[in-house]
Amino acid sequence: MWPLALGFNSMKPSPRHEWRVLFGSLACLLMALGFLALRGYLRDPNRSLPYRDSFARGKADEWSALGGTWELVDGVMRNDSDERGAKLLTGSPYWHNYAIEADVKLLGTSGDAGLVIRSSDEEEGVNDYSGYYAGVRTIDNSLVLGRAAHGWQETIKQGPAPGAIRPFQLYHLKLIAYDCQIAAAVAASSSMVPISLAISDPACADSGRVGLRSYSSGGMWRNVVVRRASHEDLIAMLGGSGGQSDSSPRNAAILNAGSLALEAQTENQKAAASFSSKTQSIRSLRLTSSAEPSIATVRGGVVLTAPILIVQDSTGGAYIAHPNSPLLKVGDEVEVIGQAHPGNFSSTIEHATVKVLWAQTPMPPVSVTASQASTGKFDAQFVEVQGHLTGKEHGSDNSLILNLDEGPQSFRAILNPGRSDYLFNTLKLGSSLRVRGICIVDQTVTQNLTPFVMLLRSNEDLEVLAGPPWWSTRHIIAIVFGSLLLALVVNFVYHRIAHWRMQGVLEERQRLAHEMHDTLAQSFAGIGFQLQAIRNRLPEESSVVLQQLDMASNLVRHSHEEARRSIATLRPESLESEDILSALDLCARRMVEGGTVQVVSEREGDQRHIPLRIADTLYRIGQEAVANAVRHAQPTILTIRLRNSQNLASLQIGDDGTGFQKGNGLLGFGIRGMQRRAQSISAEFHIESAPGAGTRIRIDAPLPPRVTLTTWPKALWRHLKEQWTDVRPSKHADSHSYRG
Amino acid sequence: MRIAVIPQTEGTIFWEAAHAGAEQAAAPHGISIYWTAPTREDDVEAQITLVNRVVDRHYQGLVLAPDQALSLITPVRRALAHGIPTVVIGSPLSIPPGGNLFYILSDDEEGGRLAAERAAALLKGHGTVGLLGINPDILGIMTRARAFEQFLAQNDPGIHIVEKRMGSFNAPHEQQMAEETLRANPNLNVIVALMPTTVDGTLSALNMAPEGHPVKVIGFDDTGLPPIDAAGTGPFGQKSSLDSIIQGDSRAMGQQAVELIQARLLGHPVPAIVLLHPKLITRDNMNSPEVRVMLSQDWTCGRWRWGSIQ
Repeated sequence: MWPLALGFNSMKPSPRHEWRVLFGSLACLLMALGFLALRGYLRDPNRSLPYRDSFARGKADEWSALGGTWELVDGVMRNDSDERGAKLLTGSPYWHNYAIEADVKLLGTSGDAGLVIRSSDEEEGVNDYSGYYAGVRTIDNSLVLGRAAHGWQETIKQGPAPGAIRPFQLYHLKLIAYDCQIAAAVAASSSMVPISLAISDPACADSGRVGLRSYSSGGMWRNVVVRRASHEDLIAMLGGSGGQSDSSPRNAAILNAGSLALEAQTENQKAAASFSSKTQSIRSLRLTSSAEPSIATVRGGVVLTAPILIVQDSTGGAYIAHPNSPLLKVGDEVEVIGQAHPGNFSSTIEHATVKVLWAQTPMPPVSVTASQASTGKFDAQFVEVQGHLTGKEHGSDNSLILNLDEGPQSFRAILNPGRSDYLFNTLKLGSSLRVRGICIVDQTVTQNLTPFVMLLRSNEDLEVLAGPPWWSTRHIIAIVFGSLLLALVVNFVYHRIAHWRMQGVLEERQRLAHEMHDTLAQSFAGIGFQLQAIRNRLPEESSVVLQQLDMASNLVRHSHEEARRSIATLRPESLESEDILSALDLCARRMVEGGTVQVVSEREGDQRHIPLRIADTLYRIGQEAVANAVRHAQPTILTIRLRNSQNLASLQIGDDGTGFQKGNGLLGFGIRGMQRRAQSISAEFHIESAPGAGTRIRIDAPLPPRVTLTTWPKALWRHLKEQWTDVRPSKHADSHSYRG
Repeated sequence: MRIAVIPQTEGTIFWEAAHAGAEQAAAPHGISIYWTAPTREDDVEAQITLVNRVVDRHYQGLVLAPDQALSLITPVRRALAHGIPTVVIGSPLSIPPGGNLFYILSDDEEGGRLAAERAAALLKGHGTVGLLGINPDILGIMTRARAFEQFLAQNDPGIHIVEKRMGSFNAPHEQQMAEETLRANPNLNVIVALMPTTVDGTLSALNMAPEGHPVKVIGFDDTGLPPIDAAGTGPFGQKSSLDSIIQGDSRAMGQQAVELIQARLLGHPVPAIVLLHPKLITRDNMNSPEVRVMLSQDWTCGRWRWGSIQ
């Protein structure tokens, strides 16, 4: 019936099970819906729109740069680099139909600056992105609009009059993308007639981020606004400004750009030719007279514009103090004429006149070690150094200072606040960094704290090569505590399993006792009655048969008593609900039931909880000792004594029987088994006996200490020690005792 | 007490004199001197390693003649952070003195002025000078060069510095610089060699010139060559162009540095900077008692105790 019932129950789930299934399904459904909702939110083509920049508040954390020297200056985003195709990007890659507008100012005469829309797949490089760009270009006085797809196609519309597009003038530029139509318009804040331009791109870039971009010219941007766009917005922009539409972007524009660049180059060369031909290397300035400053002329590239102008050529760098110069950008090739003052490691040109010869892509840094940089040989030069971050602090002018170490040298890197704030705050001590910047050994900058300081031009000059090493003190402490916690959990689980196993053994013994009681003992009783009945009917003359019947009856009685003892042995009652002393007392009284043996039980110390494994072992040893006394010693008094102390349980079984001579080959009386059991719980086993003086068996079992908040580490250590030393060799005996 | 003394290099007369001075100051007080240095003056990394080792070994004091004005800043700051009194001798670092950092330096301003006065005396107000051995790694050399230029510009406008060359601790390189200078300026009257290796290189170049050269050499910090004698000849009878040497008192530097550290550790007031006057040594005064003491290689009062073998 039970298997059938079990099968029936398994086929018909309980209401609780149904509820669980329902709850699980609902949870899965909610998670799926949540995931879809999150995905939909993240991919929303209008998420975070409209967007307005926070440049005026000095915040631009959401922008990321590819090239250039992007910094916030007085609420304006500025790129002081002549790098071709420097980009600063932000927004969602899923923005679809939208418009971007901003005020844009060109900082050079030979390039362009503008806005990027639907940008994706961006990399550092001139046209290494996919998207659309519109910008103002001075070199051909035009508004340029084109498609970048890791290449470049463009269309242009020239200004209404020569010089309509000029450097250092603010223009309002707007760029809109609606489906596959892209339009751009530019107007000066003064009375300039707006120019607009549109293209239709059948294989258009569908969505992407926005960006600021300049080409061979620095630029300034402010009031950047991105908002959703409709077809009406597109029509309004083109209609309102008399726009022209072009559906065929021209590859030839690349050639135009090339020829235009050539023209610019020719102009620059003419300008260069008009300057002094008595130029000298920057390094040679260090050998000029320190007593009588001389006028020197050098040529080099601008590597830093603020807080001090620094020009570098292939031989070294020089500080340009109090220059009379146009607005300079990083990368500008300039000629400097002024008073040369040689320094220890570099020179300063004072009261210099600076003229721009070329607008060039900035030179790459020289990679040096901190030890090399600390010699001063790279003073006022653009270098790249690696180091480990050891500290962060704010300078007196709110600049951001990084303290770095590499080998035996320490140095500092200084960043401008603004765009670098977020990066500065997220840098972790111990990280390996690569910094690119101008190496300065001047004491006014180093403050004599380190051999040199790196002045970083933008936060793109800082690269995190690797985070701090994982093996920090905090992590090691966490590992130690985690390991201890794990050990505790494992220990707890191990003991629960052992406890369950022990309970299983006890239940099985109890079941066997019940079985023996209900079958074997009853049969013996029945056989005895039948033999007695047969004997009663037999005449007294059948003495031989009667004698045999008496013998059979005695055998049955003896077997019955043995069965009762075995049952008593197998029925420990419940050691969980009864203490050992009571259980042993009961067991002993059952064994001597009907006899003349007196059982005396005594307890010393407080009754306390004894772990089941120890209690069972003590009980088994005591049981064996009682059985041995009853069987072999013919005692009149049987004494069971249990003494509890703080860390010890001591059980003593004594009798006043015949006793035996120790060392007389009597270890077969279950004594070996008792010793093995005692070993299994690390208990000490003592036996005292002498012929005619009775026998006393004592087992001293150590108890685990009471675990408190302060004692648990010691207890855990002791337990682990026991596990790996004492218990391991006794495992066999332990399991054997359970089987036996 | 243990004090480490790390000069620019060891095995040269100039720095061994500093060693003798340090031992002389240490011996009466039972101070143990740990003397170690790189094998070359331009082995900056080796000197950094030595300084860090001294810090790690918890010496009670450090005397350092830095090989490089900037590179030693971090190790010296580390020593100071460990509370080790540090005395910089010879040429300064780019750190101002204060706290546990002290300077006992050769007065290079005066050294430059002495060289300029000597050149003016040789040229009698008119002539050309080459300034060789300019080395920014050693700030004292830069100070010498600037002081030399300033003095001539202010007092002897008829003397012109027609050639300036960077220097190094590589004698063949210095010889090459001198040869190029002489080729470019065949009528050069005086060469001022700011470094000991420049003195060596310049004299070698002049000795190898086929017909000799009338140029006179004013050098700094003799490295052991005894080229000046009353007859103006070298040790093997060759004609020497070395006119004079401006010699820093390295022995006094070593001695006073150890005394300063001891005074500091005893809590006595000590000056942050001590400038020792260099001495212009010419054939006129080279046998004077003062110069003999300065150039003496008898260091018996220091480490060594000479005596007859029993």
